[in-house]
Amino acid sequence: MQKMNSQTWKKIWPYAAAIGTLLLIWQIAAFFSPPYLLPGVPAVLERLGAGITEPEFVTSLKESLFRLVVGYPSACLLGGLLGLLAGLSRGFAVYLRSLIAILQSIPPITWIPFLIILFGFGNVPIITVIIIASFFPMALSVMNATEGINRTHLEVAKVLGATKGQLLRKVYLPETLPSFITGAQVAFGNAWRSLIASEMVGGASSGLGFSIKFAGEVAQMTDVLMYIVIIGLIAAFFDHVILEWLKRRMLKWRYIGGAK
Amino acid sequence: MIMQTLEIQKVHKSFGSLKVLEDVSLTIEKGKFAAIVGPSGCGKSTLLRMVAGLERPDEGTVQADGKTIDHPSPRRMMIFQEHALYPWLTVGENVEMGLELAGISKEERRNRAQKVLKTVGLEGFYHYYPSQLSGGMRQRVSIARALVMDPDVLLLDEPYGALDAMTRLTMQNELLKIWEGSGKTMLLITHDIDEALYLADRIFVMSSRPGKLVRTIDLDLPRPRSRHGQRIGELRQEIMQLLGLEE
Repeated sequence: MQKMNSQTWKKIWPYAAAIGTLLLIWQIAAFFSPPYLLPGVPAVLERLGAGITEPEFVTSLKESLFRLVVGYPSACLLGGLLGLLAGLSRGFAVYLRSLIAILQSIPPITWIPFLIILFGFGNVPIITVIIIASFFPMALSVMNATEGINRTHLEVAKVLGATKGQLLRKVYLPETLPSFITGAQVAFGNAWRSLIASEMVGGASSGLGFSIKFAGEVAQMTDVLMYIVIIGLIAAFFDHVILEWLKRRMLKWRYIGGAK
Repeated sequence: MIMQTLEIQKVHKSFGSLKVLEDVSLTIEKGKFAAIVGPSGCGKSTLLRMVAGLERPDEGTVQADGKTIDHPSPRRMMIFQEHALYPWLTVGENVEMGLELAGISKEERRNRAQKVLKTVGLEGFYHYYPSQLSGGMRQRVSIARALVMDPDVLLLDEPYGALDAMTRLTMQNELLKIWEGSGKTMLLITHDIDEALYLADRIFVMSSRPGKLVRTIDLDLPRPRSRHGQRIGELRQEIMQLLGLEE
């Protein structure tokens, strides 16, 4: 039991230290500033405790999560499908790479004014931006994995009598699954950043991005810091808890011990 | 069950401007153990892949029981140089892959897989992942994966090339046990002359660039063979001379 504890500690101390460093810098800076300009950690945490029950905050959180939950999985699905297709067809791969190169050179947020004129304020422009921003890491990751698939794995299946559809389901999909997940993790970062940014530049009049911008306009530093903490916490939760859990579940074979 | 006679006639094959095989003809009778030895680059793997149905000749024919081989078939199983197990499947699931593709019920799959795993000495490893096994055990799984399909022909592409010398000798004995009395036709590719001499009824010696058949040697020595018998020694010398490895 004692040993178990020390091992767990070995794993988590770097994370704890990283969080601690940031909080420390913040707290030291707060000592030298008036509270209205830079409130300390305890003040913001206290505000956080009270804030998360306020209806305005809950609405704002719900709005943002709704956009994320619609946009992000759609982007993953779209990116995954395009990537798989590109991995199977050379011509389509070149086409997709060029398309992505063009889209990548335009910051996704740039589309907001264009989309607002087209669709008006609300969910549509923001969700569209999320999809534009996050489909391509998925597509690139899956495309590379599909192109680099182990030839012998394919031949084994062919010799065993696999049809084209079976090759896709039994070899291509499981073999590219790790890249699907890596792609999904990178895509999540893009989705989250572009969601908050879109809300901030006026894609909608609700959501976490809108709320932090509003708090900034009325110079509520405590609220600004509270939203920064919340936005960071949600992203960390998705990335390190949900996606990591999904990864370990789906790639069980990778985490099993033994000489490799 | 119909066993397959393999017949390769006047086969030529080039990859781009590189001539790999030139006018190769050979026959392997049903139920026999044949081996092809030759240096790397003699096209022996290409020849085996043609029999498996993974490559086609530019000229000439490759036939099994009088029918031209133009696609892979579960009747002819290939065992690859690298064990080529699917790392995301357990040992049992790897072995059952071919049966699953053929739509065989879960229960029967499992029974047949368990039986074959017992044959190759891996009883109790059903739920392990390939990464948890040693090199020799992985190659045993890939043999089990082929055997479970009950093929007429087993094609072995330097199956023990990546194993250490001791494991290799053990595996050769195991292979003989699996083959003897099974009536299966075996075609083994190897660059290990001793391996061919220990296992095969008939040895095809090939030279390289372009790959040509230089001699067919029939061995009617009883098994188990001594690895150091007089006749084996003479044949070893003959093959080494043919390959230019000895004066």
